[in-house]
Amino acid sequence: MNIYRIKNMSSSPHKKNAPAQKNILSEKEKIKQQEFQEEAVGHINALYNYALHLTMNPDDAHDLVQETYLKAYKFFDSFEKGTNCKAWLFKILKNNYINKFRKNAREPGKVDYDLIKDFYHSIKDTQSDSEDLNAGYFRSLMHDEVYQALNSLPEEFKEVIQLCDIEGFTYEEIANMVESPIGTVRSRLYRGRKLLRSKLNEFAKKHGYNTDNEETP
Amino acid sequence: MSAAVDGELTLNEQEGFEKHIMKCPTCFSEFKEAQKTKSIIKEKITRFKAPQSLVNSILKLTETPL
Repeated sequence: MNIYRIKNMSSSPHKKNAPAQKNILSEKEKIKQQEFQEEAVGHINALYNYALHLTMNPDDAHDLVQETYLKAYKFFDSFEKGTNCKAWLFKILKNNYINKFRKNAREPGKVDYDLIKDFYHSIKDTQSDSEDLNAGYFRSLMHDEVYQALNSLPEEFKEVIQLCDIEGFTYEEIANMVESPIGTVRSRLYRGRKLLRSKLNEFAKKHGYNTDNEETP
Repeated sequence: MSAAVDGELTLNEQEGFEKHIMKCPTCFSEFKEAQKTKSIIKEKITRFKAPQSLVNSILKLTETPL
């Protein structure tokens, strides 16, 4: 066997290989695998939560995250090293979501509270074995209400608040993800938070929480 | 206002903003309210852990040549 042949085999080991060798990675692929695991796999929980928020369904979220990683791994060479990998993955997930689900999704801004209830129940069933899930915390009315308040916002406000406050992305990263100028992101955050505040205040009053701002002069 | 809450102001802008809110109760109160809203969302939204089956499938994916 000449060198050319060996080289050829290692660059496409999945082709024409004996079954015992089919899972052997080339050196280049090993490096890629290692880099991918270090850079990308650690963001799986954040991606899963984002996918849950978008799809409101654990099975769809599962598929969406899986497809996102498949695509990301395939195109990992196009990831610009030194930039935020989490932002890159979120962008892929969002694009996937638009292509796959959004055509049939609910109208932005409209909230189906039954859907949210179902979502909580289904996610609770799926995750009931998870050691990270504190049942008391989960059932807390406060958290449900905050979740519902956030979900009741128009899609464009909800999205930027999620990306900024929950995921901690910068304005520049968010602007890139939602394909709008930074000024738009800023004003959506401002208006979204204002709207959210009035919804949370309503809830707080209803349940006897103190809404006075003690620090106000 | 949002940029101040999110730490997106430049040093100069930040200084100017801080000076302003010390003199303007309306902006001060709005700033505090926006900060509070942000922290409620940050702290109260329940986070889920990705199912182990999903984590495994992703790890498996990276062990397979494309």
